Amino acid sequence: MVELFVNLGQIHSLKSKGILTTIGLGSCVGVTLYDSVVKVGVMGHIFLPKRRGSDNSAAAAPGKYADTGIPAMVKEALNLGAQKSRLQAKVAGGANLFPNLHLDAISIGEQNIIAITKHLDNYKIPILGRDILGNHGRKMRLTVENGIVTVTAIGKEPIQI
Amino acid sequence: MYYNTKLDFLKELGNIGTGHATTALSQMLKGELLRIEVPNVQLLSFNEAVAFVGGLEQVVVGIFVVVSGDVKGHMAFILPLGSAKTLVELLTNESCQELDEMALSALQELGNIMITSYLNALAKLSNATLLPSVPGIAVDMAGAIWQSVLAGAEVVNMATLIRTEFFTMEKAIQGDIIFLPDEEDFQKLAHSLGLEEI
Repeated sequence: MVELFVNLGQIHSLKSKGILTTIGLGSCVGVTLYDSVVKVGVMGHIFLPKRRGSDNSAAAAPGKYADTGIPAMVKEALNLGAQKSRLQAKVAGGANLFPNLHLDAISIGEQNIIAITKHLDNYKIPILGRDILGNHGRKMRLTVENGIVTVTAIGKEPIQI
Repeated sequence: MYYNTKLDFLKELGNIGTGHATTALSQMLKGELLRIEVPNVQLLSFNEAVAFVGGLEQVVVGIFVVVSGDVKGHMAFILPLGSAKTLVELLTNESCQELDEMALSALQELGNIMITSYLNALAKLSNATLLPSVPGIAVDMAGAIWQSVLAGAEVVNMATLIRTEFFTMEKAIQGDIIFLPDEEDFQKLAHSLGLEEI
């Protein structure tokens, strides 16, 4: 079985079978889009909510940011034959690993979640599963054959979202 | 030449900073000797920076500090779980099976002292102020900790990383001290040390 690893800032997709995995979600957010009819799965590992003006590489790696990443993920799903009206999203991550620092009123993780929710909403894509926020890291896996998404954290039982 | 000068300068900073940090550690460990590797200074692309900490799923202890003042930046002190437990045992003279509140608090304080020593050395050298925040501590997957550090530092293009590894001679302890200076302030620091264009 193919298992594709989605590194920070990347977007990968599979059709019919295989597993999409992303490791080391802290304040980052793993997002999956899935069309159960054609069995198309797309996974992104989003780093920050909004593209920085100083980053001119976003065109090459749109998956770094929520505002460029979600449109790029939708496009990739449609290219593989998915239909927008059938796409369903699941979201994991957005934690704050160093909560005592209180650097921002809203942590980067939460800002990521807010931005991703907004951009998915623009496409009217429902979020069917969530394991978000909190203070711990996560690993996310999407089994493309059946659309099942599991989330693993250190010292916890894997959960299905 | 430009490149070499900058890297040499950074290596020297790493050396001095880590020298002070590990001396502080050695004193807390009642004189246990520490060996410091030559600092590894790298200018990394975003993709390289992401892959910089190996073993993304390995459980590590990460202590994270935001640096403010004349030279802003971020510092992280990362220890494998086993090394963290050994350190706690040396500090408390008690066996450490799990990292409980007390153990985490001890490690946080230890990280704080090391990071402060590192920054003080740089501050003395440059006459600049470098002020550490209260340290944050997390025990988690290395990937999640490192990713959160990069996001906190807003590394999106390139990152200058000064990483120093150290080992204890007797006990199996290893760790990494990583300094991510903000680019602009870093140029100021170089200037104050008499380096012209780096």
